Amino acid sequence: MVVNIDEKRPIRIKVDEKRLLGSIVALAEVIRDLLERQALRRMRANRLTDEEIERLGNALIELKESLDHIKKENNIEKVVESVKGELNRTTDESIDKIANQMGSGEGVAM
Amino acid sequence: MSEASSRPTEAAGGGEGRYLYCIINDNSELTFGEIGIEDSRVYTIPYENIAAVVHACPAKIYESNDGERVREWIFSHQYVIDAATKKFGTVLPFSFDVVVKGDDKAVKGWLSKEYSKLKRELEKIKDKSEFTVQIFCDKPFFAPIVEEKNEEVKRLKKEIETKPEGMAYMLKLTLDDKIKDAIMAEASNHSQDFYNRIREYTEDVKVDKLSKRVPEKWAGKLMILNLSCLVHNKNVKKLGEVLGKINEIDGFVVRFTGPWPPFSFVELKGD
Repeated sequence: MVVNIDEKRPIRIKVDEKRLLGSIVALAEVIRDLLERQALRRMRANRLTDEEIERLGNALIELKESLDHIKKENNIEKVVESVKGELNRTTDESIDKIANQMGSGEGVAM
Repeated sequence: MSEASSRPTEAAGGGEGRYLYCIINDNSELTFGEIGIEDSRVYTIPYENIAAVVHACPAKIYESNDGERVREWIFSHQYVIDAATKKFGTVLPFSFDVVVKGDDKAVKGWLSKEYSKLKRELEKIKDKSEFTVQIFCDKPFFAPIVEEKNEEVKRLKKEIETKPEGMAYMLKLTLDDKIKDAIMAEASNHSQDFYNRIREYTEDVKVDKLSKRVPEKWAGKLMILNLSCLVHNKNVKKLGEVLGKINEIDGFVVRFTGPWPPFSFVELKGD
């Protein structure tokens, strides 16, 4: 993303559109995965009626289909995968960092 | 890149410093040229029969919000360690961003204080390198096998066929989880055996966390073993052969990378 600031004109932002759309869809997929996990947990805990399970399942299918459609239509399957990979990596790293607090050797000695 | 406030130099307010790359098992006094971070001149500070590989800089750590710049620094750090390894054999690597406060004399003082420990570590890694061994199992290969064996999986599969679409979808998700668990259980029978075979040709092994991320090339595979191995040069070929055999077993793939500086087996911290 490049931000060009021109004093006479308002700020204009040049965006790699595919990348932007890819990021949005990737986020939507992450959220959908979370929804799926939540739904499964409730289902396993017997906290949902059969009708509720059916409705949830249908909603998740619909969501999946529309996201797949957007990806295919815009040819961004690869971008989405790479954004999700990056998100995963960043999350893993942050968790590692918190888990091993100051585990790295950075710093100044003596 | 974290907790900047707790660093001693920040309070001390700068002065001269030395950036540390690694310790070598050699006391040559020499310069590597301007190959360091930001083209710094990299040279050795010898003490007894070892030496520190450093560059001179202000006594503060390298920090930036510019990810690209930080990546370049880390790349340079790695490059210097590789160059020193090429010249002097396996080195004791420092992790990125360790800066000593003071001049060459201060580094010498530190080397003398830590000498016996450093020498011991250098002996430990002499003629050895670190390798990463990761073993993956192939989901599509194992799925039918566990489906055949696992009663619950069988039952779920049948049940799905009788259910309306939405519920079938939810059960399918459950089924996928169950199959994955069963594959992991199946694979873990093998992984102990693989570990033992690998262990035979390694001086030391660290079992690392299994990562969910799999290299793109191996999408659809599950990591079942993730090892950092300290390997003697004379055993590298044999280890490679053992891994080659594992790689030939149906349903398993081995990823063997290295040699790396022995980051997992030595600990040089700035404190």
